[in-house]
Amino acid sequence: MPLIKQHISKSIEQDQRKRERDCTSLELQLSDPSSAARRWAARDLISCPEATGALVLQLQQEDDSSVREIILTTLTQLGDELAVASLVGYLRSEDVALRNEAIEAMKLLPDEVAPIMGKLLIDPDPDVRISAVNILESLRHRQVEEWLTKVIEEDPHVNVCATAVDLLGEVGTTSAQEALEKLKTRFPDEPYISFAADLALKRIRST
Amino acid sequence: MADTTISQEDFLKFREFFYRKTGIHFDDSKRYFVDKRLIERIVATESVTFRSYFVMLRFETSGEELQALTNLMTVNETYFFREEYQFKCLVNTLLPEIITSKKEGQLLRIWSVPSSSGEEAYSIAIYLLEYWPGINHWDVEIISSDIDTKILAQARNGDYSARSVEKLPAYFLEKYFRRKGDAYQISDDLKQAVEFTKVNLMKPEDVRPYRGFDIIFCRNLLIYFDDLSRRTAADTFFDALNPGGFLCLGHSESMSRISSLYQTRKFADSVVYQKSKEAQ
Repeated sequence: MPLIKQHISKSIEQDQRKRERDCTSLELQLSDPSSAARRWAARDLISCPEATGALVLQLQQEDDSSVREIILTTLTQLGDELAVASLVGYLRSEDVALRNEAIEAMKLLPDEVAPIMGKLLIDPDPDVRISAVNILESLRHRQVEEWLTKVIEEDPHVNVCATAVDLLGEVGTTSAQEALEKLKTRFPDEPYISFAADLALKRIRST
Repeated sequence: MADTTISQEDFLKFREFFYRKTGIHFDDSKRYFVDKRLIERIVATESVTFRSYFVMLRFETSGEELQALTNLMTVNETYFFREEYQFKCLVNTLLPEIITSKKEGQLLRIWSVPSSSGEEAYSIAIYLLEYWPGINHWDVEIISSDIDTKILAQARNGDYSARSVEKLPAYFLEKYFRRKGDAYQISDDLKQAVEFTKVNLMKPEDVRPYRGFDIIFCRNLLIYFDDLSRRTAADTFFDALNPGGFLCLGHSESMSRISSLYQTRKFADSVVYQKSKEAQ
C-alpha cells in the first residue's frame, strides 16, 4: 500500500531548530531576510513578554503581509500596555491595511482597550474616532451602548455620529432613545442622520 | 417571565451576526432549528427578551455565551465520508495540482486535524486508494492529530458503530473493515497507513514540528475557537503548509473572516484556501 508512515513522533524528537530560540536571538531574527524565519520568530516570541518593543518596531517596517499578520497576532496575545499603545498608534497610520489590522486586533482585546476607549472617542482626529466606533462594533464589553450614546450626544463630527448611530440601531436599548431623538436636532441639515436615528428608534421600540 | 418571541427581524439580525462571528449561515428553512436553540439560551441565561439576550451575546467580555450557543447550533458528530465533496475535490483537483510542482519520488503529505476518533483520516486513506489513480505512482503520508489522548487511542483502535459507517458503500465495508458483532473494525492495513499524534494547536512547541504538508484538513474545529485562537490556528497552518499547499475547512467555515494569509480557491466540488506558491 503506497500510504506510508514516517512516524512523526521521530521527527518531533529530531526537531532541531536551525536557529537559536532564546528571546534575544528571536528578536534579532525578526529582521532575518527570510520571511518564514521572521514569521517563526514572531510566533515564538509569544514566550517573551519583554519582546513587545521589538515586535512593534518590526511591524513599522515590515512589508510582508504574512509576517505582519503574525506579529499582530503575537502582539494581541501579549496584549500589554505597549502592545495596545502601538495598536492605537496604527489607527493613525496612512496605511489602510495596517489601520484595519489594528482595528481587528483591538476588537479582540476588550479588557485592555476599555480603559482607553473614552480617550479614543474624544481624539482630535475624527478618523481615529471613527476607527474607535468601528472597534466597538465587535468589542465584547458592557459599556458599548454607553460609549455610543455619548458619541451621538457630544461628537461634533457628522461622520462619527453616523457611524455610531448605525451601530446603536443594532445594539441600542431604550436608554439610547433620548440621545437618538436629540441627535436629529443636532444635525438638522443632514437627512441621513434623521433617517438613521429614526431607523434605530424604530428597531429599539419594536423589541 | 421571559418574552421568548423571536420576530423575523430578530432572526435576520441574529443570522447576520452569527454568520459574521462564526461563518455559519442558516437559510430560511432552518428558522425553526435556530429559534428553538435561541429560546433555550434566552431561558437558560434568564434574559428578558431576545434583544437583551442579543446585546449580552454581542458584548459579553468572556465570549462564553457565544461559545455555548455555537456548541448548541453545531452538531458535533463525525462519520466516514462526512462532507464527501471535499474528498472528491482532493482527488479530482487538489492532488493533481499539487503533483505538478513535485518531483517524482517526493512524498505527498496530508494532515487531518482534529482526528477525533479517526473517521476523517481513514476516509481520506480509503478515498485515495479507491478514487485517485495517482496513488500507484506517489507515496502519501497521512498524519492525524488531536488534543485528546483518549480519542486518539480510540482512533488507533479503529472500532466504529454501524451509524459511523452508514455512508460507506457495502463494498468498502467488506474491503476495509472487519465485522465485530454490531460494530466494525478498520483493517490493519489502514491502521498502519495513518499516524495519529497528540497536538495542541495553541502551543507553539507542539505545532513546530508540523511542517511540509501539501494539504491540511481542519474541518468543524475553528467554529469552537474564539477569534484570537482561530487566528492563531490559521497562522500555524500557514507555516505548516508547503508553498501552494491547500487548507480545507468545514462547509460552514470561512477563512476570509479569520485571516488574510490565504488565497480563496473556488473549485467545482469545494471552496478551499491556498498558501501562495510564492510564499516562503
